[in-house]
Amino acid sequence: MTATFDNLSAGDVIDGPKFAVSRESIRLFCDASLDYNPLHLDDDYMKGNFGKTNFGGIIMHGMNNFGLISRMITDWACPAGAVHRRLETRWVKPVRPGDTIQPTGIIKAKQSTEKSRWVLIDVVVKNQAGERVATGEALVEFPRDLFCQ
Amino acid sequence: MAQAEAFETDFWKDANLRKTWDDIVPGEPRKTIPYTLTRHAIELYCRSVGETNPIYFDEAYAKTTRYGGLIAPPSIHILLMFSCTPADDWMRSPGTVNAGQSWSYNIPARPADVITLQARALDKFIKRERLFVVHDNVFFNQKGDVICSGRGWTIRPM
Repeated sequence: MTATFDNLSAGDVIDGPKFAVSRESIRLFCDASLDYNPLHLDDDYMKGNFGKTNFGGIIMHGMNNFGLISRMITDWACPAGAVHRRLETRWVKPVRPGDTIQPTGIIKAKQSTEKSRWVLIDVVVKNQAGERVATGEALVEFPRDLFCQ
Repeated sequence: MAQAEAFETDFWKDANLRKTWDDIVPGEPRKTIPYTLTRHAIELYCRSVGETNPIYFDEAYAKTTRYGGLIAPPSIHILLMFSCTPADDWMRSPGTVNAGQSWSYNIPARPADVITLQARALDKFIKRERLFVVHDNVFFNQKGDVICSGRGWTIRPM
């Protein structure tokens, strides 16, 4: 069912897309984002330590999580005539080739302002083991004159 | 005008020209360059995160929407951050670890937009022996309209 501002309740869940992470998907994200940091490309470099951290191999871009969360939010909001207005994220755990990640949104609160209506969404991205790899919060606007279509 | 075709993908090259945590002055603007967003760049970005919404690909469909034409996904700023900055920008320093970001979206970027960036380090601090820099960014289209604004936290290589 397409979401409407009125029918949304705190605790409602948005299921995001599963995303299989591979060396190829990471390389494609390098080409698409122009972020060629060796963290994402160079196995030898990643054998080293980063301060107190050793990643043990190449890792996916944190912003790939961000793009996947944003895709979940727009795919949910746009059919409802709503607009993705904000996304804040924090990376909790590295994502590696072979992982499968999936973002989920949970409606946290609704609020009306003088000129519009807003929905706050808690976001979490988990890997195939159910571990949290990213967390965040999104803000979606449900304009009184529906927007997307 | 610098475009992706001329983009230096070897981030080790010019690494010695980039500011380290010690050199970065919070408040000092970063050098930026205008970038013309293309359909190809949007489509490539969409493919990398699995976007399928026709509003990014199908011009005939996009014209029927309130946007009146093709747009880029909101998160296109991920590409714009690198396309609008020069090779000696410290965001390219190998070993830069992204700790988190927050972005607000005003209007969508569109194919053929000439996009400019105003950016600076806003703050730097040390936490649990790690060197952090907060960066602050606003992207504009050729009309001077704000596309999006955002802030990020990176851990700088030591």
